[in-house]
Amino acid sequence: MAAVRTSSEITFNRVAIVAVLLVTIIFLAPIYWIASTAFKPRNLATTIPPTVVFQPEISPFVKLFTKRSQLRSPPSPEEYAAAPWWERVVFDGGEKIVRDGKGQVQWSGYPSRFLNSLIIAITSTVLAVGMGTFTAYGFSRFKVKGEADLLFFILSTRMLPPVVVAIPMFLMYRAVGLNDTHIGLIILYTAFNLSFSVWLMKGFMDEIPKEYEEAALVDGYTRMEAFFKIVLPEAATGIAATAVFCFITAWNEYAFALIMTNRRAQTAPPFIPSQVGSGLPDWTVIAAGTFLFLLPVAIFTFLLRNHLLRGMSFGAIRK
Amino acid sequence: MTQIELRGVQKFFGAVQVIKDLNLKIADNEFIVLLGQSGCGKTTTLRAIAGLETVDEGDILIDGKPVQHLKAADRDIAMVFQSFSLYPHMSVYENIAFPLRATRKSKSEIDQEVRSVAKTLQITDLLAKKPSALSGGDMQRVAIGRALVRRPKAMLMDEPIGALDAKLREEMRAEIKRLHIKQGSTTIYVTHDQIEAMSLADRIVIMHEGVLQQVGTPDEVYSRPANLFVAQFVGSPVMNVADAAVTEKASAASVTVGDAATGFEFPSTLLSKLNGHAGDGLALGIRPEGVLIRRDAADGFMAVETQIVEPLGSFDIVDLKVGTKMLRARTKSGFVSGPGEKVFARIDPTQAHFFDKASGKSLEVRL
Repeated sequence: MAAVRTSSEITFNRVAIVAVLLVTIIFLAPIYWIASTAFKPRNLATTIPPTVVFQPEISPFVKLFTKRSQLRSPPSPEEYAAAPWWERVVFDGGEKIVRDGKGQVQWSGYPSRFLNSLIIAITSTVLAVGMGTFTAYGFSRFKVKGEADLLFFILSTRMLPPVVVAIPMFLMYRAVGLNDTHIGLIILYTAFNLSFSVWLMKGFMDEIPKEYEEAALVDGYTRMEAFFKIVLPEAATGIAATAVFCFITAWNEYAFALIMTNRRAQTAPPFIPSQVGSGLPDWTVIAAGTFLFLLPVAIFTFLLRNHLLRGMSFGAIRK
Repeated sequence: MTQIELRGVQKFFGAVQVIKDLNLKIADNEFIVLLGQSGCGKTTTLRAIAGLETVDEGDILIDGKPVQHLKAADRDIAMVFQSFSLYPHMSVYENIAFPLRATRKSKSEIDQEVRSVAKTLQITDLLAKKPSALSGGDMQRVAIGRALVRRPKAMLMDEPIGALDAKLREEMRAEIKRLHIKQGSTTIYVTHDQIEAMSLADRIVIMHEGVLQQVGTPDEVYSRPANLFVAQFVGSPVMNVADAAVTEKASAASVTVGDAATGFEFPSTLLSKLNGHAGDGLALGIRPEGVLIRRDAADGFMAVETQIVEPLGSFDIVDLKVGTKMLRARTKSGFVSGPGEKVFARIDPTQAHFFDKASGKSLEVRL
């Protein structure tokens, strides 16, 4: 059943749709730029005006994952014929892939940085959301002495821009040997996200009627069982929304990753721009690295989109 | 066989005492209704019996064993909540099976019991649905099913039909009563609706501000209210209560309501039964059906004027002006045509109640 709409409302709606489209285009333009550059041949990446129609290549990705060097002379026909197809696209671009003494392809630093990002972001998200959920449940269901003060204290950890404490943190981390370790960044990101997670989850927990657990308690379950069997499934929407936000924060974090890590535990954000400086910047490789870096968040958010939409309007709509 | 007993139960929320020295014995298979206004402590009492609320003082005994230190899960009691509290992420089947899954029953046993309860409640066709797809009445049936399936020692119901609309409420009321007769388990039912209480209860427990006011069968509570609160809380339309003075008048007693010029005629035994309470501080209570009305003058009837007529279908409620007080009478529908009519009224002495105004207690005068 459609509600009655006046002609001015219809006009307003049309204007609004155009405005939304415009904003969407503005937001998506950089992503299009990165995605298209990631598939461009190197010589088309920086043309003015930008090349829009081109033959897409995967050479930026091959170069991203491998070490390579400039060709001093064109490859011999035997060399060219012996190379696998993906190596030929690098030859065609005037570069060659570096192999070790045994003829093995040398990997670039990107795959391990990407893996580091995944390990650190996922672990810290699980920890922050897990601890946040328990804490929020406690605050929501039990009388806690000084509840308001404690909650304010938790929130106050977000009032300071984190970078302000970067140097003391760095010194502390070095003193205890946590710099350039996965666990170091995991602790850091978990601490960042925990306050956010507690507050967001408390909102969701407050929305879950107490009677559900009480019914479970009377039905013969312990509070712990009631929490896992009743509260958690009910809080799934909130957990998903919180997890997306925590994951994005941990995934995108740049400043601390740059300061606290340099090799072993370095994540992708500080690694990608570090490639700009080595020789003539190959923008296609950087774009390819960035493009791949965008994918996990996009996939994660896409998978949880239904929960997210409900999560965003949670509390606003009561059935 | 389940008896529940409350002995000297006290409960505080901060400085507020919500249950004051509550003593109550509930027999096996009895249907007890806790009746009172919101905030009178009835739900807290129920939750204390369920184990969802601790008590600060006193004992709760189930079958003679104190349970106030046992967790809810260990008391073997089922509860139906006002909001039904069906788990939204589970199907009806899962909801009903949920209490059984806490026990060590096998899958086939659980299945058998869920289906048998569903059959009793006629919800077999709903088993696959999610609670959000159910109507209010069906949700209620599922909630009762979930409570019944474990065959608990006792059933607690916290305003289980309060959230339903009037027609459905009436249907479910009958269904709950039918079910109780069939299943016969000790039941404690909380409501603020006195009609619900009257129609369901074996005994009604009336509470006010944490204090138990009266325990009795619906008939006892209605026809012999222990105090002014019970008198006015139970029964619809509400009992007339007015200051009254009793005087002796030519071998009969005369009861003057408020500042009326003349009094209503009562048998002379009233004076002796009042035993010195005849003067100040006396309140007369009379239900509207105890105010008798005639169109023509008769012996013992007082001339009064009608003020407001409320037609309620099966009967009318007529406000009669007696002095400055209004006395509400119940008449056949259409008996009085409208306001301002002259009629003749009298109070049926057998239905009159006398209360001590200061304490509110009934003087137990029965004529």
